[in-house]
Amino acid sequence: MPVANDSTTVPTPTRELAERLAEIVGPRGVLQRPSELVVYRSDGLPGYAKQPQLAVFPRARDELIAIVRLLAERRVPFVPRGAGTGLSGGALADGVVLVGLNRLNRILSIDPVERLAVVEPGVVNVALTRAATPYGLHYAPDPSSQAACTIGGNVAENAGGPHCLKYGVTLNHVRAVTAILPDGEIIRLGNAAGEADGYDLLGAFVGSEGCFGVALDVTVRLSPNPPAVRTLLADFMSIGAAARATSAIIASGIVPAALEMMDGATIRAVEASIYAAGYPVDAEAILLIELDGLAAGMDADTARVKAMCQEAGARTIRIARDEAERARLWQGRKKAFGAMGRVSPHLVVQDAVIPRTRLPEVLASIREIATRHGITICNVFHAGDGNLHPNIGYDANDPDEQARVQTAMREIMATCVAAGGTITGEHGIGLDKLDYMPLIFSDESLAAMCRLREVFDPDRRSNPGKVIPIHSCREWHAAPKAARGV
Amino acid sequence: MGEMPNASPVALPPNPAAAAELGTAATPTSSADVRDAVRSAAERRAALRLVGRGTWLGAGRPVSATAALRLDGLTGITDYTPGDLTLTARAGTSLAEIATATAAEGQWLALVPWGGDAGSLGATIATASAGPVGGSLGTPRDIVIGVEAVTGTGDVIRGGGRVVKNVAGFDLTRLMVGAWGTLGVVTEVSVRLRALPEHDATLALSVPLTSAAVGDLLAKLRAAPIAPLALELISTGTARHLAVGDSSMLLARIAGNAQLVAAQREALGAVGDVADVPADVWSRLRTIEPGRATLLRLSGPVARFAEMWASAERIAASMPGGLAHASILRAVARVILPQTGEELPSDTLAMLRADSPQTRIFERLPASLWPSLAPTAVSDKLSLGVRAAFDPHRILNPGILGDLRA
Repeated sequence: MPVANDSTTVPTPTRELAERLAEIVGPRGVLQRPSELVVYRSDGLPGYAKQPQLAVFPRARDELIAIVRLLAERRVPFVPRGAGTGLSGGALADGVVLVGLNRLNRILSIDPVERLAVVEPGVVNVALTRAATPYGLHYAPDPSSQAACTIGGNVAENAGGPHCLKYGVTLNHVRAVTAILPDGEIIRLGNAAGEADGYDLLGAFVGSEGCFGVALDVTVRLSPNPPAVRTLLADFMSIGAAARATSAIIASGIVPAALEMMDGATIRAVEASIYAAGYPVDAEAILLIELDGLAAGMDADTARVKAMCQEAGARTIRIARDEAERARLWQGRKKAFGAMGRVSPHLVVQDAVIPRTRLPEVLASIREIATRHGITICNVFHAGDGNLHPNIGYDANDPDEQARVQTAMREIMATCVAAGGTITGEHGIGLDKLDYMPLIFSDESLAAMCRLREVFDPDRRSNPGKVIPIHSCREWHAAPKAARGV
Repeated sequence: MGEMPNASPVALPPNPAAAAELGTAATPTSSADVRDAVRSAAERRAALRLVGRGTWLGAGRPVSATAALRLDGLTGITDYTPGDLTLTARAGTSLAEIATATAAEGQWLALVPWGGDAGSLGATIATASAGPVGGSLGTPRDIVIGVEAVTGTGDVIRGGGRVVKNVAGFDLTRLMVGAWGTLGVVTEVSVRLRALPEHDATLALSVPLTSAAVGDLLAKLRAAPIAPLALELISTGTARHLAVGDSSMLLARIAGNAQLVAAQREALGAVGDVADVPADVWSRLRTIEPGRATLLRLSGPVARFAEMWASAERIAASMPGGLAHASILRAVARVILPQTGEELPSDTLAMLRADSPQTRIFERLPASLWPSLAPTAVSDKLSLGVRAAFDPHRILNPGILGDLRA
């Protein structure tokens, strides 16, 4: 759908659809003027701007159902969007309807005995943990954007976070989902009150990046707060030394709650920002290591971790004395992306995973790639599970720099894949990584993913054009009917 | 590659000996062999019974196939870097072989499913089999990080990879877990491993397991400063069978460094009288089921655990030799009923037919009872759609999910 240049005019079909949607959500729940939609042209991924046809914001479950059914009736493609914090362009709506879910933000129930919560998709991640705190519980997956991102978005992306090292990613914490399929049918996946039988369609839905339908409610596990926590900060004079310490800790069998690495460039950006955490600015790398669990044995594990860091060449090791110091150390880590935003106009937060024993060599390769292309890469990432976040600060309005950044990204992805890794650990494919999919999946695997998607969304109307390169699906459609079993 | 008999489909008799009589389509040693065998079968619309190491053949599941595709030649660990705590093996590799290889590096694959280590990695994944540590260390869907499978049209597909965190693409891995091979013949599996704990102890607490006592026990365990790998209730019959005692009891597995294990031992001592039990009680419990048995899993909310346990014990007590045990951390109870013929005693059958407040999943059942007692869980539109997308000719284990069509 072409977008009018004139910010005051709206094409007739869009206006007519907006009127129908306004009958469901009221006139204030629909945005259709290009000037109003500007804010929805981007998500957390820089360098892309896609204009939605219009945006609609349901306030209640019934409104969302009515919207999806209206769009189904008219076969209109749409993009579900939570808080728009995603880093792969998954919430971009290119000329289609954007369904904003952030007003569906009610926590429907918290059951401290079953340790389950039922939430609407627009509930903000940290709001759930806050609501669970009086029961001594929390929601374990903690993406860095947890103060803004929504559970619905977390489910769509199978989001991770620092503490997923010990506690698992979103998939491991979702017990059931009620969803509306793009054709308007309401389905229930998983079993919150016992074991699930049959195909693991819940497992398929989590991480489907909005391509399988829209969650109406999500039942998640809540985890008991650990009675004891130790947060260590170890600093190193080389990235390689910090990587060796990481490998040693992982191999030792101690499973830290989190094991995060930040390189020198990141440390200095954080320390120059309002999020300054007291990291040593002359270090080339720090590890933020958190151990949690029962109090018994915690000191022994802490001593072992300390020894392994020292063995690898740590200069100093500090243990947070109290909750305030712990919070400060974590704030520097969680706000690192914000701090880096001060340094450059645009920041790409990349995401890839490698086997943990390959950390030293892959980090060296990334540094070499950056030098060769004359760009600055800083690394702040989940070292414990090999989930890298090489971040590139740049100016997206400089075509030459933009091109160098793109080339470097591709080389970094290829390096990670060659090391036995993958192209995304928690941010998803979205739009940004479509081109990388053939690096790790065969045509047959991509075609199988298309078939899976079409079981949920035969018209491919929900979040069109994401996750699977379109040619992979076309090939399948071109196949003889017999081969498709229809 | 052997020729497949071109007979019309027959229901497979529910015992291993008879299964062996079913012609063998092929004994592949590589994914390419599996692909060729499946393509050949697909062309002729000849249904295949997938057979790993044969441990599930006695489950009585009503598979209608013309030939067996044996996967026990598809063996070997293909990638194991201990420092990464990940391992990749071909599907027919036995759990025992993996246990040996990983133990040599001080690691283990924390699947340890009911049924023991004789089975294959592929079947463990395909059946989503968990065991006593499933509640603390995860079930197959949490532990598998990548799968290679051959679909019913002979496409070799891969989901996931060899790293512990991965969200690339739609999740073909989770789809293969628990699908009993009906969406693809699992040919290779990557899993996450754990380091073996420094100290690992198993304690028995003698507890009377009346309904009130179970509720009380659960409350105390919840409040106790413990982080056990397993908490398993075993019925009196089970305790006698394992020769660990003469009454119902709680088995607790606690692990970690010396201080952590000592503190947990003390905390459990405050709940009841504790006694050390040899660690092999777990492998004996895992293999307690006789070759032919009816096996039922009950699961439900934590708040109704005591009621579920009572129900499990009642069903177990309804016939001689019936056994019950329950994993507290997952709120799942298992009932084992030795099977002597094709039928169950009428009292037992009546209990199994009665409405249940718990979720009931049958692992093993006389073939004739599958249709009435275990209605298929894959008859909904999406499940049928997924099946059609991955096995359009329905040649992979047709019927094994109770999905035989008239």
